Amino acid sequence: MIQIAVCVCLVPDTASVFGFSGGALDRSRVTEVINPYDEYALEEALQLKERLGSGEVTVFSLAPRSGSKALQKTLAMGADRVVLVEGEGSDPWRTASILSRALTSWYSDSLPGIVLCGRQSTDFGSAEVPGMLAELLGLPSVCGVGLLEGGQDGVFRLEREIEGGREVLEVSVPVVISAEKGLNVPRKTSMRGVMEGRKKPIEIVDGPTLEEARVGLAGLRPVSNKKNCRIASDAGELAGMLHERGLLQ
Amino acid sequence: MSDNTIGSEGRVHNRLMVLEQREGVLKGASVDLWHRMQMECGGSELRAVLLGPVDGENPLGQLLGSGVIHHAGDERLREYDPRLYGAVIRSLFEGEGCSELLFADTALSRDLAPALSVRLGASLLSGCSALPRDRSCSRRLYSGAAEGNFVAASSRAIFTISPSSIPLELATGTVPEVLPLAIPALRGDDLPSIVRQVVMQVGMVDVAEAAVVVAGGRGMGGAEGFTLLEELAFLLGGTVGASRTAVDEGWRPHGEQIGQTGKLIAPRLYIACGISGAVQHLAGISGAGTVVAINSDPHAPIFEATDFGLVGNVGEVLPDFIAAIRDFLKMQ
Ligand SMILES: Cc1cc2nc3c(=O)[nH]c(=O)nc-3n(C[C@H](O)[C@H](O)[C@H](O)COP(=O)(O)OP(=O)(O)OC[C@H]3O[C@@H](n4cnc5c(N)ncnc54)[C@H](O)[C@@H]3O)c2cc1C
Repeated sequence: MIQIAVCVCLVPDTASVFGFSGGALDRSRVTEVINPYDEYALEEALQLKERLGSGEVTVFSLAPRSGSKALQKTLAMGADRVVLVEGEGSDPWRTASILSRALTSWYSDSLPGIVLCGRQSTDFGSAEVPGMLAELLGLPSVCGVGLLEGGQDGVFRLEREIEGGREVLEVSVPVVISAEKGLNVPRKTSMRGVMEGRKKPIEIVDGPTLEEARVGLAGLRPVSNKKNCRIASDAGELAGMLHERGLLQ
Repeated sequence: MSDNTIGSEGRVHNRLMVLEQREGVLKGASVDLWHRMQMECGGSELRAVLLGPVDGENPLGQLLGSGVIHHAGDERLREYDPRLYGAVIRSLFEGEGCSELLFADTALSRDLAPALSVRLGASLLSGCSALPRDRSCSRRLYSGAAEGNFVAASSRAIFTISPSSIPLELATGTVPEVLPLAIPALRGDDLPSIVRQVVMQVGMVDVAEAAVVVAGGRGMGGAEGFTLLEELAFLLGGTVGASRTAVDEGWRPHGEQIGQTGKLIAPRLYIACGISGAVQHLAGISGAGTVVAINSDPHAPIFEATDFGLVGNVGEVLPDFIAAIRDFLKMQ
């Protein structure tokens, strides 16, 4: 039976109000949700389990204890259990180190066949954790995967988008994969799923804090995209404005 | 070893940049980065490593300015292989005693840099909006609502740099010295290769690399609506982009999506047609030069992020706009 690990982080809902005070996000006005990219990763894990007819999907999340409420959704979607690694988010290197330690200790000797992550988070969006995690686990990785097939014989066929084309890859398990938007359409949770999810375990483990962060956040300031717009009266005037700026060459 | 970098506080960092080729052609984003670094270091020597063979006569001729290019032209590097690429870069970086490694922000560097940072024990700062100064750089966060300033804490650092619309002033007169570089012996703990094959789509330049981007959203009404945008893009020597809605509707491929969950673009001209200007979309265009919007709703948020705007129905005003542009181009 294949073990499938899915790494999930919590991010502020992009529909919330983003206020900043004292160089940090004002968290009192945001609700935390599962990172949208991680939902693609989880959906793929669930589909893989269905396709193979067996398997165990475990969600790993580095989060404060209070995060278990938002993580409940992963169980309602169909994950078998959640391992909440207690701690605060940090730089990608520390996050990857803590996750890697949590995975190796949870699975003791044998690593899971596939570790699925979202390509990036929607808050800081560094897109670094999956590749770092793979290297720390000693596994190959492919980032930004838009198509995942096979797996029955321990070999996956993947596609990922590159500038002006795509790469078609074949990888054998164990492997770390990060999910691009469009990999699938994450399922909605049903009432029954929510009820069943409540019966499934959320295990809380300590996040070891050995590593120092390798990247520091020196400052954070709100930005505005505001520009002073000149409205043209018709298409000819608009073209003239571009011409004046030397943009028509 | 050359002292090829300058920190404003007199700290010397030895920089190495990575030049990328795909299918034997130098990648525009990395050529651009080479020239940006030339501008910044004002004549002192740059050091770069180029992975894989490049085809054609005088293929490195477009790289201007002084410096050294270590060219690992081995056929085995023609296609991206994280194991080989990592090994070549690592051994040169360590051999030359470098402390900073720079990449253009591309699909390749997004894949390679995280693993490499673990191997090198380096800080990784991805998606920097400009070249790093004093080992720090900025990036948009929270769907573009904020800008964070990040600092490398380790003695080694890797930076991937987003495209920029700031015009280049090319150094002329000098060309870099090219030194051949061999693939080093692989170590036992190097990961197995992944079988990989590249399928290129013929057609337009990638949105992330284009100098002009003409994008459409829901207001284009359907896939057919984009024919007008293709015509406009062709006229301006640019490429077509899309909002997420246009992609989700299946009108355009995902590779063209601009924004938080799409690409960050930095053209000198960006034209948004029938796009409302959601914050997640604007997150992708903060690097653009002049922003133009055409939208039927005078209150559409896109106009707040726009230099020049036109209120109108795209079906009616775009043909006139295209005709007017054609007239201006003819005059030149
Ligand atoms: C987590 C997350 C990530 C996201 N990432 C992205 C992203 O990367 N990129 C992105 O673009 N979006 C992204 N979105 C979606 C974003 O919030 C918007 O929904 C999307 O950008 C809207 O696309 P649109 O402007 O094409 O459509 P709409 O918002 O529907 O706007 C259509 C516009 O066209 C105008 N219009 C209609 N008819 C005409 C006409 N005939 N002539 C002229 N104008 C007309 C309308 O006035 C309107 O302003 C994301 C959302 C979330 C939640």
